[in-house]
Amino acid sequence: MNPRPRGTTGGSPFARLLEMLRPDLVRFAFWLARDRAVAEDVVQETLIRAWKSREELKDQAAARPWLFTIVRREHARLFERKRLPTVDVDQVEALGDPALASDGDAGLEDLRRAIMQLPDEYREPLVMQVLGGLTTTEIGTELGLTQAAVLTRLFRARNRLRVIYGLPAAEDADG
Amino acid sequence: MGNDCKHVRIAIGAEPHAQSPEVTAHLATCAACRQFQAETVALDGRVRAALELPLSKFRKTPMPARRFALAASVVFALLVGGGVWLFRPQSALASEVVEHVLHEPGSWQRRETVSPETLAAVLAKAGVRYNPRLPVMYASPCPFRGHIVPHLVVQTDRGPLTVMVLAHEQDGSNGEFTEGKYHGVVLPAGSGSIAVVAPKGQEFDGALKAVLEGTL
Repeated sequence: MNPRPRGTTGGSPFARLLEMLRPDLVRFAFWLARDRAVAEDVVQETLIRAWKSREELKDQAAARPWLFTIVRREHARLFERKRLPTVDVDQVEALGDPALASDGDAGLEDLRRAIMQLPDEYREPLVMQVLGGLTTTEIGTELGLTQAAVLTRLFRARNRLRVIYGLPAAEDADG
Repeated sequence: MGNDCKHVRIAIGAEPHAQSPEVTAHLATCAACRQFQAETVALDGRVRAALELPLSKFRKTPMPARRFALAASVVFALLVGGGVWLFRPQSALASEVVEHVLHEPGSWQRRETVSPETLAAVLAKAGVRYNPRLPVMYASPCPFRGHIVPHLVVQTDRGPLTVMVLAHEQDGSNGEFTEGKYHGVVLPAGSGSIAVVAPKGQEFDGALKAVLEGTL
């Protein structure tokens, strides 16, 4: 064992990387699961998987999309393994989840609720892109979609949010 | 609005910050699409802010049921510590854990595994979740610091390990300790702490690792 005073920033670069990215992993897991406890569980599983697979990460610059991908897979695995009930969007809203609140910025809170209400097929790629920094190619690979399909979903997600934000909707691809 | 505008806006809506040469060329000649792009970029900034949930509020709300992703939490505690144990003075908590173990000396002598039903009942009584994949040789709901906690003994290939899930102990960063004939560690786990104790001399790191890996 190698004792180290508490509170230092010691540890391997990989451990520090995980520590740094953990908040966004929790946020991503929450947007996927719409349940805080499940999100925490997913991230904990993710950190274990990441630690065991750390040799696979050749470039630390790619850590964020790599970890987001693991979060998404762990989320899917958790639901598959435990057969968790899906979360009713209205029920989440009814809870008045404080995680969605924003001090003094009602617009931001409305936007959070609007994102929460997006269908999974739109919300997931949007969060992967904006929060995770994944490219549309990476999103397509992860979701098993063509790049064109990813672009369409991202456009539609933002188009719905435009309306919530008080902007006119753009004409859709099918319009 | 022509077809060009429609396709450009779809491209902007999909990737507000990435512009192909075609989009750039169109924007140079179309004020309406430039306005659309400006709006979308502004919206995207708000979307990013919206996605960055305040984790402080995230953690303040009590869970409807206490959840303990036991091994995962411990592993994370190890990770953020850089895979090393924290060096801390002997804590009162560690002493009380060892004292509790001493009061149940027979717990390490068990030769039969505890049934899943018994384990589930013990965990339910304490209001925690734990799904060990290593054999549980002993499980008892024990009073500890005013709460009922699961006192478990799991069998590893290095020997038995006592595991106490201390859901009500918020400050579990007490680190490694040695007391008398026992060696252990108290670490944060979930919203509480976990204490793991083994006889001194028993290879501890490997045993703990086995417990953690057994629960993955």
